[in-house]
Amino acid sequence: MFFHNFKYSLKTLFRNKAMIFWTFAFPIILGTFFYLAFSDIENSEKLDIIDVAIIKNEEFESNELYKAVFKELSDKDNKDRLFNIKYIDKDDEKEAKELLDNEKISGYLEFVNGKPKLTFKSNGINETIFKYVTEGIVQSAYMGRNVSETKANLKDISRKNLSYTMIEFYTLIAMTCLYGGLLGAIAINQNLANMTCQGKRIATAPVKKWQVIISSALSCYITQILGVALLFIYTIFALKIDYGNHFFKVVLLSLVGCLAGLSLGIFVATLVKAGENAKTGIIISITMAGCFLSGMMGISMKYIVDKNAPIVNKLNPASMITDGFYALYYYDTFDRYYFDLISLLIFAFILIGISCIGLRRQKYDSI
Amino acid sequence: MSNIIEVSNLTKSYKELTAVDDLSFEVYEGEILGLLGPNGSGKSTTINCILSLLNFSNGSIKIFGEEMKPDSYGIKEKIGVVFQEVSVFDELTVYENIDYFCGLYVKDKEKRKEYVEDAINLVGLMDFKKFYPKKLSGGLLRRLNIACGIAHKPKLIFLDEPTVAVDPQSRNNILDGIKKLRDEGATIVYTTHYMEEVEILCDRVIILDKGKVLAKGTCDELKELAKIEEKISVEVNKLDNKYVEEIKNLDNVADVSYNGNVLLIVYEKGKNNLSDIMGLLKKENIKYNKIYSERPTLNDVFLELTGKELRD
Repeated sequence: MFFHNFKYSLKTLFRNKAMIFWTFAFPIILGTFFYLAFSDIENSEKLDIIDVAIIKNEEFESNELYKAVFKELSDKDNKDRLFNIKYIDKDDEKEAKELLDNEKISGYLEFVNGKPKLTFKSNGINETIFKYVTEGIVQSAYMGRNVSETKANLKDISRKNLSYTMIEFYTLIAMTCLYGGLLGAIAINQNLANMTCQGKRIATAPVKKWQVIISSALSCYITQILGVALLFIYTIFALKIDYGNHFFKVVLLSLVGCLAGLSLGIFVATLVKAGENAKTGIIISITMAGCFLSGMMGISMKYIVDKNAPIVNKLNPASMITDGFYALYYYDTFDRYYFDLISLLIFAFILIGISCIGLRRQKYDSI
Repeated sequence: MSNIIEVSNLTKSYKELTAVDDLSFEVYEGEILGLLGPNGSGKSTTINCILSLLNFSNGSIKIFGEEMKPDSYGIKEKIGVVFQEVSVFDELTVYENIDYFCGLYVKDKEKRKEYVEDAINLVGLMDFKKFYPKKLSGGLLRRLNIACGIAHKPKLIFLDEPTVAVDPQSRNNILDGIKKLRDEGATIVYTTHYMEEVEILCDRVIILDKGKVLAKGTCDELKELAKIEEKISVEVNKLDNKYVEEIKNLDNVADVSYNGNVLLIVYEKGKNNLSDIMGLLKKENIKYNKIYSERPTLNDVFLELTGKELRD
């Protein structure tokens, strides 16, 4: 019976055009829009090579790490080139000041008493990157990294700091996972006598309610996972999105995210006393609001919420998923990733647990 | 005949409304029992209580001699239900819908295949196996609804208004199918507000109104309650009022009315009423187009018992 119901539940899902759209097509369409919108911004910024100057005094000449890194980052053959560097003789410091005053360069670097000193005329993204790279070299030297490690690390981090697209794609995956809520609601609605007439018929059959609900929920979960998998395949192979080096952990977080989405749908369908359309509206609203607060419509929102009302994003499943990806991509340790993963699992189990209490009812006052 | 269902003192209330009021009845093995009553009389609520879908405030329900509970899977195996609403999946074909619901009862695939084919033949959907419900007409959809409820060959079948909004061809098909199911040994509880169907199908009838039993028995037994023996209708183009008064004074006449061009004479009793009235019409040289005699209907019984029409 379990497999019989599972098989037909899958059939009904895959033939439901609305579900196919929301589960499979909508995330891909949205992803394509994100890609078109944000890749243009990033491409324009990538071409914007920063003009800077370096005063070639003895201290600079003797610092191999600085010399090598800046040479690499200003190499004309390097596709990730960041700087166009004008090397100025130590006696011509005035020239550097003139270039800065005339806005020919964003800033210049000179070594004073063994320490790098940066001079800027204003604050902006170019100045920030120049400062960030210079400080990065100091840190690398302190950590004992060699030249090639430092170059790789700086290029990688510099690139990541410019990536709006990645944040949007994290929230897109979070949204797709949470859309599993729509399927979770179907798993409940189809099988309960007080929800649909099909559920009424199933309730009169000699089958255990749990068996039917679990097999339906499993088919919904698998469908949702396929939706997320399709999104990954499309974004990785068609849009060339790089999800970093921890793909297994990305998949694990997505699986748990889908479970959280499914549990949200089960929770709403079980406990909200409203029609099917109203429940669908509630699930979509919760999902979209969660994604908005986690930065889907602007990364600054995530920071605003984190700063002013951190509890909101601690309870927001979309934020847990987005933050988990963010942590995987940006941090060398996995503490924050596992915190998000476990938070999502707790979220899912609490909602399923509460739903189980509501689902225990076998007879109804009215249907 | 043994009792298949025993309902005793069943009472179901929705807040201040008593939908089923101290209802007691039995269903005998192999019979078709009709639950007849206007909309809102408590027919569907009674069925839902019997099926253990609804809570009820008082009473007991036994099916096959055992108390019916939500987890009475042994009893549920032998029951088939056809609800008033079409309860099928739009995403599954006719065959798949029947196979899905039958599969909730029958695990053996080969046996199920045979049962599904039998159900399709019974309701006459052989040419529509691969159709999706949205492509079916209202009548065909009702037939599919029935097939989904009876494919597993249940011993006890509940049919809750299965012919609502159905075309005559589908209605005849459905009624023939129900008779066939009874002939194959099923016990059937049939709810409707169409008295003609009850008269054609049911061995016994329970008339419900406002959740109470008004009367029960065979159709003939119930018609005794109507206190009329015969109704004679005569199509007359013009009729003077003095003749209406004259007819009223004839033996056994309970009521006479002349509306439009139809003269309706209701008799309390008597055996030669038709020849008597024809003799009078001939004697008075009154020309008429058609004349026909009817036995009282269940609507007359309902009218007698409640003072209102069944379809009010």
